[in-house]
Amino acid sequence: MSELLNVALPKGRLGDKVYSVFERAGFGCSELLEAGRKLVFESPENGVRYFFVKPSDVAIYVERGAADVGVAGKDILLEYAPDVYELLDLGVGKCHMCVCGRPDFTDDGVGSLRVATKFSRITRKYYASLGRSVDLIHLNGSIELAPILGLSDVIVDIVETGATLKENGLAALERILPVSARFIANKASYQFKYEAVTDMTARLSRHLEVQK
Amino acid sequence: METSAFSAFGDSFKERLLTLYESRGYTRYRVGRFEEYDLYARNRSFITGSSILTFTDTDGRLMALKPDVTLSVIKNTPIGGSLKKLYYSESVFRAPDPSSGFSEIQQVGLECLGRLDPYSVAEIISLAAESLGFLADRYILDVAHLGLLRGFFEDSGVPEECREELLALAEAKNSHEASLLARENGISEASIRVFDAMIHLRAPLADGVRTLSALPLGVHASDALSELARLAVALRDVPGVWLDLSLKADTRYYSGVVLRGYIAGIPTAVLSGGRYDGLVARMGKDAGAMGFAVYLNLLDHLAPAPARSGADVLILDEGAEPAALLKYVRGLTARGLRVRVDRAVPEGYRYNRLVRFSGGEAHE
Repeated sequence: MSELLNVALPKGRLGDKVYSVFERAGFGCSELLEAGRKLVFESPENGVRYFFVKPSDVAIYVERGAADVGVAGKDILLEYAPDVYELLDLGVGKCHMCVCGRPDFTDDGVGSLRVATKFSRITRKYYASLGRSVDLIHLNGSIELAPILGLSDVIVDIVETGATLKENGLAALERILPVSARFIANKASYQFKYEAVTDMTARLSRHLEVQK
Repeated sequence: METSAFSAFGDSFKERLLTLYESRGYTRYRVGRFEEYDLYARNRSFITGSSILTFTDTDGRLMALKPDVTLSVIKNTPIGGSLKKLYYSESVFRAPDPSSGFSEIQQVGLECLGRLDPYSVAEIISLAAESLGFLADRYILDVAHLGLLRGFFEDSGVPEECREELLALAEAKNSHEASLLARENGISEASIRVFDAMIHLRAPLADGVRTLSALPLGVHASDALSELARLAVALRDVPGVWLDLSLKADTRYYSGVVLRGYIAGIPTAVLSGGRYDGLVARMGKDAGAMGFAVYLNLLDHLAPAPARSGADVLILDEGAEPAALLKYVRGLTARGLRVRVDRAVPEGYRYNRLVRFSGGEAHE
């Protein structure tokens, strides 16, 4: 039997959505339905071995070859720029990277704009493209607190429905870029497991076409 | 800074590679570990994604621990007359990932400088493939030609301002975003389909060239295609050479053929190189140049698991007669067993069998 393809999927709600795409494309894994503490799930009949990792770690697993392929958000790919192939836009987990702040906030262009974010690279690039100088504040979580407590003027973060922002008296002020889940592959695995990787890409692509 | 330059495992391949290069008339090029920083400052983007370790020399000059060998080779080699065929085995100092600090990276490679002829180019590609073949049974050497996509852009009227972005998307084989960008820039659907076919093309070199020849590439890409076709013929007996046009390189330095080598079991490319006439020209010399480097430190991924630490037999010396104990130990080691003698069980030490030895007698 040929080698299994190691697939890194993001834990959580996005992972559930993504797995259902794989399942419907013919890469189901009955082990996943069994409750337990297993971390790795195999389906030899479908040629896959799944494991679920923190969403921001998927690209690392793939870049370093622990996984042959995986699914990572476009936000993570842009922020960490892993050296991987980005083969498909799966069209799930859709949201936007936005500049957010108090609804009445306007940037008067004076001095540096204080921006809090987890996504420093994306933020720096965005404001550089506008020629706006910023005081970048890198945070690792609870970003919404920053403008509420006066730590920053605005934040740059992922916005799905805007409900969390609204609950905290904030709003999306500008859209920077759309984000969705992307199917990625390790560059060496693409060489040595070419048939398996391209077959998976083609079947996922066909499934996405049918869904349109 | 990570100071372990490379494993003995990687080092074991080094001599074989150097012997290979010597067998084709390449001669050893030796460089010191330091170079004036100015050399790298002037060619900063050639040392992609890497910081440089600098220090002030006793005479006040700003020096660098070499992050690269190629620049020193070009700087220090007089070019003219016959081809300069050089190989090296050197350490370079880089911080490819700023969060992980600097590493000492052992690389071997070769450089060919001068009026490059078709044979020399084919021989370098063959040597790159043979190098990979020395490292592993399963290997792939990807070859691209930078003139193909560039020429195609000219023929398809791709605006200059979006070319770099398209090349970056091609490098990631990201056709979904490349198509969107191409449409936004008014590129025809027919051209988008050809571009898509090019970035996903992956085939043994001769097959790949045949596929490319059937695509409507236009006149600007024809020279590059002809060069690849000649290489495909010259390399027909060299296994493991594939065409993959997604390879990207900085066109300020590189021109023509680009190489990336992979071996099974290592998640990143272990070999990279190509033709860098542009770099030579930037350094004020009129010549062709081509070479490649093999990153030996990456071979650590292939190293066998280290031998289990500990001993097969741990002997507790409880007043042993030294000559008798020594004879006993020698007897065990002669049978291939690993033996440690101590007066007490060392904390956390692993062993299979415990033997107590007192006087001239062993007791299980």
